[in-house]
Amino acid sequence: MRAIPSLKISISGVRGVVGESLTPTLLVRFAQAFGTYTGPGTIVIGRDTRTSGEMVRQAVVAGLLSTGCRVVDLDICPVPTVQLLVRERRASGGIAITASHNPAEWNALKFINSAGLFLADAQARQLLDIYHQGGYRKVSGGEMRAVEPSAGAVDLHIKAIIDVLGPLPAGARKLRVAIDSCNGAGSIVGPRLLDALGVEVVSINVTPDGLFPRGAEPVPENLGALCAAVREHGCDVGFAQDMDADRLAIVSENGEPIGEEYTLVLATQYVLGRERGPVVANLATTDALDAVAQSFGCPIYRSKIGEANVTEEMGRRGAVIGGEGNGGVIFPRINFARDSLVGMALVLHLMAETGQTISGLMAELPRPFMLKEKMACRSDKIRSVLRMVRDEYMQWPMDLRDGVKVMMPDGWFLVRGSNTEPIIRLVVEAKSEEKARQIIEEVRGRISEMGLN
Amino acid sequence: MSPDRAWKFANGASELSLEFFHKKAILNSLKIGISGVRGVVGETFTPELAVAFAQAFGSYLDSGRILVCCDTRSSGPMVFAAVVAGLLATGCEVVDLGVCPTPSLQIAVRQLMAEGGISITAGHNPEPWNALKFVRSDGLYLNAMQADELLDIFHQAEFAKARWNGIHSKVERRDAVAPHLEVLANAFDVEAIRQRRLTVAVDCCNSSCSLLSPRWLAALGCNVLAINDDPTAPFPHAPEPGTETMAQLRAVVGAGHADIGFAHDADGERLGIVTESGEILSEEATLAIASEIQLSRETGPVVTNISTSMAIDRIAARHGATVIRTPVGQAFVSEAMIEARGVVGGEGSGGVIVPRVQWTHDSAAAIGLILEHLARTEEPVSALAARLPRFTMLKHNIAVEPDRIHSLLQRLHEELKQEKIDYDETDGIKVSWQDGWVHARISNTESIIRIIVEAETAVRAHELLDWARDRVKR
Repeated sequence: MRAIPSLKISISGVRGVVGESLTPTLLVRFAQAFGTYTGPGTIVIGRDTRTSGEMVRQAVVAGLLSTGCRVVDLDICPVPTVQLLVRERRASGGIAITASHNPAEWNALKFINSAGLFLADAQARQLLDIYHQGGYRKVSGGEMRAVEPSAGAVDLHIKAIIDVLGPLPAGARKLRVAIDSCNGAGSIVGPRLLDALGVEVVSINVTPDGLFPRGAEPVPENLGALCAAVREHGCDVGFAQDMDADRLAIVSENGEPIGEEYTLVLATQYVLGRERGPVVANLATTDALDAVAQSFGCPIYRSKIGEANVTEEMGRRGAVIGGEGNGGVIFPRINFARDSLVGMALVLHLMAETGQTISGLMAELPRPFMLKEKMACRSDKIRSVLRMVRDEYMQWPMDLRDGVKVMMPDGWFLVRGSNTEPIIRLVVEAKSEEKARQIIEEVRGRISEMGLN
Repeated sequence: MSPDRAWKFANGASELSLEFFHKKAILNSLKIGISGVRGVVGETFTPELAVAFAQAFGSYLDSGRILVCCDTRSSGPMVFAAVVAGLLATGCEVVDLGVCPTPSLQIAVRQLMAEGGISITAGHNPEPWNALKFVRSDGLYLNAMQADELLDIFHQAEFAKARWNGIHSKVERRDAVAPHLEVLANAFDVEAIRQRRLTVAVDCCNSSCSLLSPRWLAALGCNVLAINDDPTAPFPHAPEPGTETMAQLRAVVGAGHADIGFAHDADGERLGIVTESGEILSEEATLAIASEIQLSRETGPVVTNISTSMAIDRIAARHGATVIRTPVGQAFVSEAMIEARGVVGGEGSGGVIVPRVQWTHDSAAAIGLILEHLARTEEPVSALAARLPRFTMLKHNIAVEPDRIHSLLQRLHEELKQEKIDYDETDGIKVSWQDGWVHARISNTESIIRIIVEAETAVRAHELLDWARDRVKR
């Protein structure tokens, strides 16, 4: 049987290619399932700038209205804005229409619960059961509600950040900041937030047309234009957002990407300086974060990968800051969600209050070397790969909560299957580049021997 | 679904048993056919169904520009979103006309050179229903053959799919009411009507005509007594001009000393009339009045369906005009009008086609035609109504199980042939006598056989109904 690789229905939501698998019927059904799951309350929806966004939005609205939900439509906005508004409006849930870092032909639905968090495993499984079962709630025309547009959501988001952190301190030198929003949802809010914080703004890729000007992930190889803008305009820092504005990467004043792992590290440094408390990160995040937590005498806890898992652990530990190494910063005092806008505000406050440059701040941090790789792998092979890795590296301590993480004396590596694509992800971190490469080659070699396709 | 809702279509005595209602409730809440797709929201008319039909229509028209409007039913926004999603997914450019009458959309389709349009309205059906009506690039409804083609695509379910770089990322919003008003103003002698300063009562049923009709009457210089003209409020009564639904309008005509009263359905096709003396005219009278007016100015063919009153034939004969009869359904009447260059046309349900405006039912055009006549002749509408031939019409429905209904009609055909009784088989079976006629046909919207009889006297009409009923139930 031919596999259909362009559709992925999982606990992370539903994700597919427009014009192939992601049909309006599928989207309507998922929205109906979600409306059935939440019951007839208010649902907040928002989307990134993808060209298919309008089609997906209309399908979602139809499905939600048919189950009796009231829809608050934020239209184009960052995912964290949807999450913030779910809490502000005391909504029953939210749907974010975005395929985050996937290429332009993809789109997806991500489901948010009444706390503004992505559905936890058990909740997501319940939603999938309802979807597959198909007996969706139906209301008569008379019970149907209307769609309420909400134009002020982005202002509310900016205000929430300024209310907690304030503008940058007066008297400090006015910072010059470059921002690259990837023509995504951040385009409409990133530059405005920077303005509200009181910095001078140089913006690139802020046309919200859904035409990707670069690779969507804010990883170093995609940030050439931003680096050039930082150098050309003599900026103090450059910020890169992804399509849905949850992840953030930083470029130093020298026009060099510092690596997306360090966004959370710098944000944590600022937050712990204001307020001590537990830190939570997923188990693929750099060990440099542990060093920062320890320097403030704060405990650090690791969670499974994925925003829902991190926020769940943060709630349990009462964390003051947390997030993921891919550039996702979660600062619960503003928004219990990965939020690139919050990330920018925290890093700029750190710079303003320490008077340090990005490269100066980086110089004080430990810099272990991290490598990330993907290997194509049939979904049904992933489990046997993980079993093999677990058996082969039995002699070292392991974390088996999410894939296999092996802690060796001078580095660690993690092997796990993706929730969103038919691939295996490999992450290695070691004290030196040489050691990291040695580990990754060995692990990759063993996996390849199994024959993945 | 409640029995009275299921029984909405029936106007006459009912022979449905109670069990049959329960059995039929499910069968009846969805109807996919030549007149589009129609159903009860919350039962069978689901968002998936609306999406799939929009995809089928987008595929049928090979993408292109499609206009979408809806009436004021509370399920409108849900169906609208589903239709837009389906159209966008097939690569169509969607233009959103918001809430507006179907005839406004039909004019806009031609003006904006669109490939077609979808009007989201269940017309005269009650609030729990909704429907999609499909309009082609010339502003007319799909004809029977085209509707069949659309249904084939729907059933086959292999729709066109736009890729990310071909999908339209925005929906443009346009107003269709102002352009419609402009077309109307150019079609009638507005100055003559303005000078008469007529007082006109109008019941917009809180639907899309609220946005058109009071403005049109104001443009005609009328003193407008509008009721139920709030498009955000629910329907105050069934959205169908009829004796029961027009009682409030009659009261307003009386209290306001209006020269005439008009009642709209939900989407601007059917029109009901109250005279200045307070008589509620039957919906059959609307086309009769329009024909009398138009034929007194020019002679030419009148086009209507075979179930419409023989008053039309008598009026046409008076003016030396011919009548062309078509099967029941607006698409048939429109196409025959164009082919025969008809001067006026429509259906007995209160829909009037005024070719000066467009070749499809347009209640605002009918209002223009009637007011122009009142202004020119200074004749009261009651005098006009008094000149109409009056007959007795009886409508009767016989519920038949869906699996038996076609063979039953077939049996009637055979019996009539054996008995050498002449009949017309344009649509069902129509037998005519000097003083009356009987028409039996299968409903487009329910599992029933509709019998309509008309005769010069009430006694004769009942005689003909008994004759027909005996034959069907034999």
